[in-house]
Amino acid sequence: MGQQRRYKQLESTAQLKKLITRYYALSRYHRLWGRPLKRPLAWVTSGAPVELLRAFKIHSVYPEQYGALCSTSKATLGLCQEAEAAGYSPDLCSYATSNIGSVLKADIAPMKGLPKPDLVVACNNICGTVLKWYEALARHFQVPLIVIDTPFLTGDMTDHAKEYVLEQFKDLISQMEKLTGRNFNPGELGKISDLSNEAVGLWKEIRGLCRAKPSPLNGPDLFIHMAPIVVLRGTREAADYYRLLKDEVKKRVEREESALEEEKIRLVWDNIAIWSNMFKFFKMFSERGACFVTDTYTGGWSMEIAPGDPLESLAATYTEVFLNRSPEFRAKQIIDLIKEFKADGFVMHSNRSCKPYSLVQEVIRKRVMQETGVPGLVVEADMADPRAFAEEPIRNRVQAFLETLSD
Amino acid sequence: MLNMDQKFKGIDQIDLLIDEAGLNGDKRRERYPDRKFYGFFCSYLPEELVLAAGMQPLRLFPSSLQGTPAELPAYCCSLAKGTLSLAKPGTYDDLAGYGFVHTCDTMQCLGGIWKDIVSQDKTYMIVPPVMLGAPGADKYFRIEAENLLFALGQLNKSNPGNSEVAAALKLCRQVRQLAGELDQLRPMLPSQLVSALLRAGQVMPREEYVSALQNALPVLKEKAEEAGARKKLLVTGAVLENDSFFSMVEELGGRVVADDTCTGYRHFIEPPIKEETENLMQTLINRYIEMPPCPCRNRGLDTRLNYLESLARRRGAAAAIILIRKYCDPHAWDAVPLAKGLRDAGIQVLVMELEGAGVGGQERTRLQAFIESL
Ligand code: SF4
Ligand code: SF4
Repeated sequence: MGQQRRYKQLESTAQLKKLITRYYALSRYHRLWGRPLKRPLAWVTSGAPVELLRAFKIHSVYPEQYGALCSTSKATLGLCQEAEAAGYSPDLCSYATSNIGSVLKADIAPMKGLPKPDLVVACNNICGTVLKWYEALARHFQVPLIVIDTPFLTGDMTDHAKEYVLEQFKDLISQMEKLTGRNFNPGELGKISDLSNEAVGLWKEIRGLCRAKPSPLNGPDLFIHMAPIVVLRGTREAADYYRLLKDEVKKRVEREESALEEEKIRLVWDNIAIWSNMFKFFKMFSERGACFVTDTYTGGWSMEIAPGDPLESLAATYTEVFLNRSPEFRAKQIIDLIKEFKADGFVMHSNRSCKPYSLVQEVIRKRVMQETGVPGLVVEADMADPRAFAEEPIRNRVQAFLETLSD
Repeated sequence: MLNMDQKFKGIDQIDLLIDEAGLNGDKRRERYPDRKFYGFFCSYLPEELVLAAGMQPLRLFPSSLQGTPAELPAYCCSLAKGTLSLAKPGTYDDLAGYGFVHTCDTMQCLGGIWKDIVSQDKTYMIVPPVMLGAPGADKYFRIEAENLLFALGQLNKSNPGNSEVAAALKLCRQVRQLAGELDQLRPMLPSQLVSALLRAGQVMPREEYVSALQNALPVLKEKAEEAGARKKLLVTGAVLENDSFFSMVEELGGRVVADDTCTGYRHFIEPPIKEETENLMQTLINRYIEMPPCPCRNRGLDTRLNYLESLARRRGAAAAIILIRKYCDPHAWDAVPLAKGLRDAGIQVLVMELEGAGVGGQERTRLQAFIESL
């Protein structure tokens, strides 16, 4: 693990590992006892309104999170090739194709694949890929497909978009009532939303602590510790975990302890991590004292559900996620992060898997540079598929970029 | 029997339509100096509303000579790259505006980029529902359409109301009916001819198109003859900016008897509408909800497959060709279940990935082998 030598692991990581291991073990058991107890198992997208599913005691597993896990376990390539042999193009999102590969050939997949679903639930607030991916899953497993269609917002949220999402939520509720035999309990949803907000609020605070100079966390910390906010949002465990993490990060700030040995450059990261080579890649920065103090991706899960009618608030929260917004919105987000976190530069991962995230980056980069005067670098790779990671050219670009920042 | 006058007129009009299709709107300013054109990309843009606001819908196509604009990465489809590289030097500056439809992730991004570097004020994106059968989808879509109409009116300083919308709907129905007649003749006409005649209807003023096609159809009917030994094919895919694929099919002994491309008959199809509603806008929108869906939308898991299968059967197509533009995610995704479903139904399938609409030696070899194997 020579690559990780400079990486100062947080103590909470041990607890995180336990939590995630337990979650996957539970998911597996769920496959066995979930159905008789009318607690179906759903595969859901990262931006799906999981609070609503939890209100029906549906257990959710996250193929996207599993996609990241496959990549860090070096399994993605084999899984993608499996999907490609079945006709899926290598140009498609590698979370999706590796997931399909794991469905087609579980024995080469980490943990022998995810436990089979009773239903699949996609929300297209992150991309159009999830519609096609979940259609494929529904066909393969012959299970119900539920899609929550959250219209792309070219500007601000509109009344008719909100009403449309709300109508679909109501429909989802009546479908879930039939599927689980349980009645919808708005009080229960309110409680779950509160738990979501608790975890989200803590995650926000943790991210906010990185405004400190030096920053207590670096990009990889944010990426590693985001797992519970994705897979356990709306549970007590997630809220408890982030309380623990916050205490630790706060202590680092009080001790003025840096995530790196010495923080010289502060950067903002845009897009999903390059899981396949995460430590190798981030080390190119950390060995020169460049710290990723914040990012746009893990911040995607720091949107609280507003008080008021829980269904209406959920409709707004899930439609207004940043990937469902215009380039202007996204540019402003990065500009604000640069200002708030006093960053010296930003790095955009042009992620060939994720078109909605990546295709607008150049326009955003120019705008951010114009408004902040801070330079931005684009690095082309893929979040999960190692074939798209060209180490030498990337290293050269990173070095040249950091040199200009150190001048 | 047509008299000589009708015949010559018909032939002239066919020439005109082929010419227009070859130009893809390039000579719009000289040919139609009094018309205002409004650029669009996708068949889910309600053309009726553009017409109601006093403009002519012009489908924007990439050209074969195109660069890669710096704003887009290499892993983006050539439709987006090509149109953006045409827009940057001002090729479209005469257009009254640009109408985007939210379809795929690429179009979502292109719309945003267009606003940023081509025109902030003249660019508009309508966001139809993805789940066409979802509760509330029809109302949501109707309001999106009303907002589009309002924006178009402001753009063209017109104030389109019910009567303008009704007139535009009538014109579009006329176009669609004529296109439907042409599509019926497809098994008996050269594939590239039908493809060109249909594309012309997306790049020239619609009244002129109606009149040209009206005059052309009787001659086409006379010329129509059975495909003979030609291999009957169904073609499905997205946008095709020229007819080279269809010509190649003919050269290799095939005939496209059924077409489901965005720029082919799917653009014009008039699905049986349940009933006219009292709300004109809802009636208009219902067509877009009911038409055979493209891969970016969902109206049930197997709707698209079932439609293609029955289309192939009705037209007696023995095989299907699924065309995918490189880096086009929605069509690449659908290719897998379509190929499987059609094969299971006894229809042979060839999946072909193309850089753009142009085809070359490599495609010829594959297509030839496929057609010969039928
Ligand atoms: S395309 Fe992007 S947002 Fe969609 S599933 Fe893939 S990585 Fe996630
Ligand atoms: S549907 Fe396909 S061809 Fe059309 S813009 Fe999207 S990616 Fe490009």
